[in-house]
Amino acid sequence: MTPLRRWLQAFAVHGVLLVGVAFALYPVLWVAALAFSGSNAPEPRVLPWPSEPTLAHLTEVVGATADDGGETIWIFGRQLLNSLVVGAATALVGVLIAIPTAYALARFEFLGKRRGMGVLLATQMFPAVASAIPLYLILESAGLLNTRTGLVLCYASTAVPFAIFQLRAAFEAIPVDLEEAAMVDGATRLGAFVRVVLPVARPAIAVTSLFAFMSAYNEFILAATLLDDSKMFTLPVMLQRFVGEYDARWEAFAAGALVVSLPVMGLFYVAQRHLVEGLASGGVKG
Amino acid sequence: MRPWRWLVAVLVATWLLPAAARATDRDGRIRLWHAWRGEEEAALAELLESWDGPTVEVLAVPYDALSSKLGSAIPFGEGPDIFVDSHERLGEYHRRELVADVGDAFEDGAYVGEAVDAVTIDGARFGVPLSMKSLALYVNDDLVAVVPGDLEGIAALAETLPEGVVALAYEANNAYAHAAILHACGGRLLNDDDSFGFVGPAAETSIDVVLDLLDAGVVPREADGALVTNLFRSGKAAFAMSGPWLAADLATPEGDAVRYHVEPLPLLARTRGRLQPLLTVESAMLSPSGAARPEVRRFAAFLASSAAAARRAERARAVTARTDTPSADPIVRAFAAQGRAAVPMSTRPAMRAAWEPANKALRKILRGDAPVTEALVEAEHRFAMVMRPPPPARSPTILLVVIGGALMFGAVVLVQRARTRAFREQVRRSIPAWLWVAHAVFVVGVLVVLPLLVGTATSLFGGPPGDVHYVGAANFVDILTARGGPLLASGSFWLTLLVTVLWTVVNVALHVGLGLAFGILLARPVLRMRAMYRVLLIIPWAVPNYVTALAWKGMFHRQFGAVTGATMALGDWLGVTIEPIAWFSRFSTAFTANVATNAWLGFPFMMVVTVAALGSVPKDVLEAAEVDGASRWQRFRHVTLPMIGPSLVPAVMLGAIWTFNMFNVVFLVSGGDPDGTTDILVSEAYRWAFTRDAQYGYAAAYAVLIFVLLSGITRGLDRIGAAAKAKVGP
Amino acid sequence: MVEIRLRAVSKRFGDTVVLDGIDACFPDRSFVVLVGKSGCGKSTLLRCIAGLEEVTEGGIEFGGRDVTRLAPRDRDVAMVFQSYALYPHMTVRRNLAFGLELRKEKRAVIDARVAEVAKLLEIEHLLDRHPRALSGGQRQRVAMGRAIVRRPAVFMFDEPLSNLDPTLRNTVRVDIRRMHDDLGATTIYVTHDQVEAMTLADVLVVLDRGVVQQIGAPIDVYRNPANRFVAGFVGSPAMNFLDGRVVDSTVELAGGVRVPLPEGTPAVAAGKTVVVGIRPHDVRRDPDGTVAFVVELVETLGSHVHVHGRVGDAVFVAAFEGHTGPKRGETLSLVVDRLHLFDPETGVALR
Repeated sequence: MTPLRRWLQAFAVHGVLLVGVAFALYPVLWVAALAFSGSNAPEPRVLPWPSEPTLAHLTEVVGATADDGGETIWIFGRQLLNSLVVGAATALVGVLIAIPTAYALARFEFLGKRRGMGVLLATQMFPAVASAIPLYLILESAGLLNTRTGLVLCYASTAVPFAIFQLRAAFEAIPVDLEEAAMVDGATRLGAFVRVVLPVARPAIAVTSLFAFMSAYNEFILAATLLDDSKMFTLPVMLQRFVGEYDARWEAFAAGALVVSLPVMGLFYVAQRHLVEGLASGGVKG
Repeated sequence: MRPWRWLVAVLVATWLLPAAARATDRDGRIRLWHAWRGEEEAALAELLESWDGPTVEVLAVPYDALSSKLGSAIPFGEGPDIFVDSHERLGEYHRRELVADVGDAFEDGAYVGEAVDAVTIDGARFGVPLSMKSLALYVNDDLVAVVPGDLEGIAALAETLPEGVVALAYEANNAYAHAAILHACGGRLLNDDDSFGFVGPAAETSIDVVLDLLDAGVVPREADGALVTNLFRSGKAAFAMSGPWLAADLATPEGDAVRYHVEPLPLLARTRGRLQPLLTVESAMLSPSGAARPEVRRFAAFLASSAAAARRAERARAVTARTDTPSADPIVRAFAAQGRAAVPMSTRPAMRAAWEPANKALRKILRGDAPVTEALVEAEHRFAMVMRPPPPARSPTILLVVIGGALMFGAVVLVQRARTRAFREQVRRSIPAWLWVAHAVFVVGVLVVLPLLVGTATSLFGGPPGDVHYVGAANFVDILTARGGPLLASGSFWLTLLVTVLWTVVNVALHVGLGLAFGILLARPVLRMRAMYRVLLIIPWAVPNYVTALAWKGMFHRQFGAVTGATMALGDWLGVTIEPIAWFSRFSTAFTANVATNAWLGFPFMMVVTVAALGSVPKDVLEAAEVDGASRWQRFRHVTLPMIGPSLVPAVMLGAIWTFNMFNVVFLVSGGDPDGTTDILVSEAYRWAFTRDAQYGYAAAYAVLIFVLLSGITRGLDRIGAAAKAKVGP
Repeated sequence: MVEIRLRAVSKRFGDTVVLDGIDACFPDRSFVVLVGKSGCGKSTLLRCIAGLEEVTEGGIEFGGRDVTRLAPRDRDVAMVFQSYALYPHMTVRRNLAFGLELRKEKRAVIDARVAEVAKLLEIEHLLDRHPRALSGGQRQRVAMGRAIVRRPAVFMFDEPLSNLDPTLRNTVRVDIRRMHDDLGATTIYVTHDQVEAMTLADVLVVLDRGVVQQIGAPIDVYRNPANRFVAGFVGSPAMNFLDGRVVDSTVELAGGVRVPLPEGTPAVAAGKTVVVGIRPHDVRRDPDGTVAFVVELVETLGSHVHVHGRVGDAVFVAAFEGHTGPKRGETLSLVVDRLHLFDPETGVALR
């Protein structure tokens, strides 16, 4: 290849990638610009640059307080904590439930295995519209309505099927030899699983946890239905208020959206290296 | 190990603290739900300071979500003791027994007649009127010296106004606002006999009026509430037809944004009728458990008291429904006057079903997509479909016999198998594995599978909540025959299915195309700044998808959207004027907007999967192809692609399932506009469940059909995947 | 340090019979090699002895102790896997120590043993690396170290050399045998390579289709193969098989060629059709030879030449000492020093 051709090729590659990056970033920047804009003029904006920059929307959203039986609490902080706690608990519970099951599916032959897998796949295809009301009844009878525990249980159980698929493939990719070596070395089946399989599957477990966290952190329909107490709200439910049908406050929404997105973006940044690894061994490989 | 323990401790602590606090002091409190915003919410907070009863726990719920939240909480003894909502929902609430007689909270003789009528059902009072809301005419005093007496006069003023200023800003394509004109023409949205009113000569006249206004440029096209506010506030509208909320929005710390006053709506010269807006009476309503508590009734009376009304009027310019609390504020007085010349909204449950067809027809006509009469007749047909009596109850005997037979057969088979030695041996071997999966079976079984089964069973039932009965397969028959209408009519199952399939195919193709392209570029052996590109290209995946959806909706917004801005900038640059495109007024553009949003949020997943799959392509095979003389493209086409194909198929399958059921994007970006044509099956099911008279059985039947379709599709894709895998080898 | 006894060990996966009634006794401190073609069940047998597979029927005893239902960790065995199965998330040091840690050995003991083994295998400089940073040969040594460090009663090797390059293979083979002799444990070694099998084994077990074909010292198996399968499998180049018929004290081959039965050949009823097995090394060039051998191809190995050709219509290979062979197309006359007779139906050696 001549130097010219090589240079042209690099130019083309970076050109295409830069166009992609622009496509990926533009909406985010646009929202950010909106969040910092003070002007309310209904003018179209093209460049993602705030007009009359202000922090007013951000401070309004982040600094939101509420009255709780006479004392003023920092409601935004409470809701942010709720979101993080619900997300983390969902990831923890969901992955803890999924791990042994995924392992059994990867390593054992047993009665009902194929049928069980079929049911798991089927749950992914059934739209939530029809199951929302029965779910509500079940939580009601368990006394878990309007609790974050109930919310976490719902999220975790809906995150479990996908987590099982992910982790099963990850476990299948781990050579059986490793466990057998551990068992010959003196470990029980469980010991081999805990001390060898789990550490080796760590990237896949991390990625699966991230997905479970995201599914809970981002969800709002169920949260809006199940929770009746603004002290227990998660951030998406709070955000929903800014874009009601009859009065939309786009700037406040944008400020809130920005704050809500930051933690997930941070996690993604940390996990992105594992993402490829996790998916290479993970569920989407079937 | 350390950080983990620490994390768990924090989790447990944050869990227990609020729970403990809650267990001790929730009882005895009064729970109040409302949908107030801004100044009204502030007024409530002030009022609560002077309340001397039990602690009030307040929850602000978005107006759109309030009624479904009430419907899902109160029947279970959850939810509020008292809530504030518009009176027109009372009929529905009454039917579903979400409200009870307010008893001594209602002060006889204290309220204006319209308000009393609004909260009365069968002679009993089901709400305490708090305030009355209607549209009225805002006049910009800087632009208008003399207010014309009729709408035609306002239209005539348009020519005298400066460039870029509209004469009258109001939400022309919203049936709520349009009702004022409809009333002036002698029409109604809903007739007294529960038949659809927005049809016939009066409705057609009212639409002619609006079409004339639009054509003359008197009224802005496609205006929503935010635009009306913005136009009037920035002095770009001489008049606005809006509610008290506009006054609140016009207030700034330095005084009003523009000099204005409010007066009742004008006459319509053409019919000699007066424009009469719909009147909404915001009322405090009591849930059955709340109504039983004297302190809750006392609190309701407190909210409706003269002092409270005065406070709301002062703080939020709310128009009281009381006769004994006149306000000095000219704006409040103007709205009070308008209230006396308004038409109270019907409390009948049928009213709820009238909005969607009326709004759809109005939008369709004003866009010029359909002749007036045809659209109105179609709306009437739609209304009739929703209001159509549920299918007759059927005897569930056949179903029970089938289920019983299946159970018997299953039992027999099981017993027979259990007798064989091989089966017992299998059971013995399976027991250790079962121990590994038992907890997951339990949790997924109870919280995922059981609701799905109940949901599936729901599809065999029909009727409104409270009066549900078994109807056999009638829901399915109705759906598959498009309720007797033409099979490809707008809103029919088959058309929606077509749109859904198109939606899925286009999106998956874009995801795979973009994902492959960027994935392959990222996987190049030598690439500067690879890490940076990867991080930036993954960003759309990290953004919560409802945020994405709403952000894109904003970008396609006709007035301030970035896309609009870009086309206009392009136009400026080329020296031509490009009219801003109303993205959601045509199927092609609305669908494009949805697709753009979904392509944006979905491609990073396929990109990462591609990178992962490319990592498993052995280098020597590619080198062999290179030695054989294959060009770069040929190597990709004949070696790389077939080799990564099998590992892409499951991802594509998953992507297809997700896209097929991608409710958030469709619901939040286009919302089905125009005319429900961009709705996909899931959003259609959602509408039946939550906006159209709560027909859960019908929605569940949709869900079952979606499930059947998807399992068919995945089975097909699975076969393709298996074939591809077999070709490449292990 | 135990004698291993197998009693009618059978293993079935569903309807597939993998091991069919295997009886054997391996003396204490012996080096046992299980050899056979792939799929013959040799790995399964090893895994059954290790406890990684449950036997369907039969029993396994270690030094008189019935271990049939014991988990691997209770059998006091160590194993080197074909893939080495090093724990990727642990350093070499932790890999070596892992088995001892599981047995709750004292830290000092563990450190001492790891150091000792590392020194023995010359992997001290690798102790703090992770397996992914090691070469194939280094990984193999670590895997061996992991087995040695535990001082088990039984060592198991599952094709441990198959992932090494040929030169390394020879040195490691010698190392393994030396290690066995030094440690004095019983070793069971699985391979498909008959050279490895012959060179390493005290006891050679030839398996085919889940059945033991022959057990014995390698030289006995080589000299007196129990059947045609063993005869063809053991020895390189492989034994030649020709159809024939016993006539008096000769066998008549297909082309009418008569080969006198050498001394020590068992008596067989005259007129019986047999399969004649002749090892390439058991023929000599001799002008008086009765067997005419047409040369087609000559391979020179340095110390030997392998000559491929035909006897009558049948393909035949002969091996001669020296480095100069006959020319292509030449016809040699051969004398057969030793031959084996097999029953044409059953393949069993006629003795």
